[in-house]
Amino acid sequence: MNAINRHELFVLEDGENPVEVTEDTKIPNAATIRIAKQDHTLGNMVRAQLLSMPSVLFAGYKVPHPLQPYFIIKVQTDGTITPQIALETACNDLIKMVGDVEGKFKREFAFKDADGAAGSNATGAAAGGDDPYGSGGGWSEGKDYLDF
Amino acid sequence: MDGAIVRIRELKKDSVNFVLENVDMAFANSLRRVVMADIPSIAIDIVEIDANTTVLPDEFIAHRLGMVPLISANCSDAMRYTRDCSCPAGCPICSIWLQLSVTCTDDRTIDVTSDNLEVVPGPYGMSMSMDDAPEELAKRGPYFGHPVSKHEPGAQPVLLCKIRKGQELKLRCVARKGIAKEHAKWSPCSAVSFEYDPHNKLRHTTHWYEVDERAEWPLGPNAEEEEAPREDQPFDFNAKPNKFYMEVETDGSMGAQEVIMKGLAELQTKLANLIIGIKPDLDIMAGGDGQAAGAWGTDGGTWNAPEMASGAWGATASAPEATSPAWGNTGPQFGGGSRRGAASPARVAWSGSPSGGAGWGGAQTGWGSPNRETNGWAT
Repeated sequence: MNAINRHELFVLEDGENPVEVTEDTKIPNAATIRIAKQDHTLGNMVRAQLLSMPSVLFAGYKVPHPLQPYFIIKVQTDGTITPQIALETACNDLIKMVGDVEGKFKREFAFKDADGAAGSNATGAAAGGDDPYGSGGGWSEGKDYLDF
Repeated sequence: MDGAIVRIRELKKDSVNFVLENVDMAFANSLRRVVMADIPSIAIDIVEIDANTTVLPDEFIAHRLGMVPLISANCSDAMRYTRDCSCPAGCPICSIWLQLSVTCTDDRTIDVTSDNLEVVPGPYGMSMSMDDAPEELAKRGPYFGHPVSKHEPGAQPVLLCKIRKGQELKLRCVARKGIAKEHAKWSPCSAVSFEYDPHNKLRHTTHWYEVDERAEWPLGPNAEEEEAPREDQPFDFNAKPNKFYMEVETDGSMGAQEVIMKGLAELQTKLANLIIGIKPDLDIMAGGDGQAAGAWGTDGGTWNAPEMASGAWGATASAPEATSPAWGNTGPQFGGGSRRGAASPARVAWSGSPSGGAGWGGAQTGWGSPNRETNGWAT
């Protein structure tokens, strides 16, 4: 009754800003970034990537309240880059990394598919699942999210 | 990170066991989280019960129906979210209708299973209301939306209810696309396991034991992948977990391979959206607001317009029963007590949600729907 609609946990509201940057007034080269409708999945990954960058002095994230679907991430850099650029670089690096893992998975799956077709077909349809799953999945279209 | 290593140890139709190396824990954990909660699939969302003289109450059956895995291969492209769809109250692009009708006339009890669910065309003529030839439909496999066990020889169907002589169960369902953050029934995964550091070298956990730690904490199979620490080995407090053993098992609605690839793509989308989100600010600092809109793509400036401007959308949202005669027919039943919302309270009614409709309409411009242009009204 008083519960919010579940989709409000992950769908941006009308006119809602996905990312808000508040620069710190007291600490140099620091900013607090509020990211709406995202959770630990993105927050922790980005934080870890930021920490691996030499120009980042501090990075931390929190989900202030479990019922409020946003998180904040605080970044302080050494001044060579702004926190925003640090965050952007971190995201770009992560996208590359995910792409790398994606490629490796694709290759591994291709190997396994070849194996499966030759040997372990006893379990019914082949690993690709062309039988009930129809087109087997459109992930191989090679989308490039960097095009955003 | 100098290149991740992926090694698939076992691949079956609905599960994959792999080792992920040279990534940090946050990354591996994000992959785990994303395959569990962010991949769209199809599940029954609304159940309209015509007759239920079984021993189970309507809600009970509706809830069970929601849990039935439906074949959702390629569903992120082949189906729209109802909130993103331009139809007033469900169309073949955003909904799948299923029917179940079982009556027992024998002297023995009958099992009502997910195999009794039949996919049927929509309740009203379904004249493919959209003009833009629904490319989504072309991307569907032959059994898209069917219960998983139905087309697999030897598979055990999901038992919904047992009925005895004289009892009947007759109902209609609407299945929709959703993600597990809304309701766990939309999770394509039935189990995801995640392990690292099988020898507990990093001491991320403490083993409680009575007498002998080794005897009371037998090593799992993943321990063979890593070298056991020597007896006198000092604790390396700088060590970080580097090798992750994961197994992703799906409920059959998608193949394990698809789940992994979709999960990685979803991670990229999340990151890309974050970059886009942070870019307009940079552009504004540089004095170019127009660039910011440009970064959002062509719909950047216009996405408020359709729902604000088009009275038609507002009207259909507020009065779906009026605009769709066939639903009007079922209207009385629909509004009455015979209808049961399925497991998700968020979707209680299509009808009484003018604000809901508008909200969703607007909301779709956010993340989660990379191809919002396909809605037809962004242009």
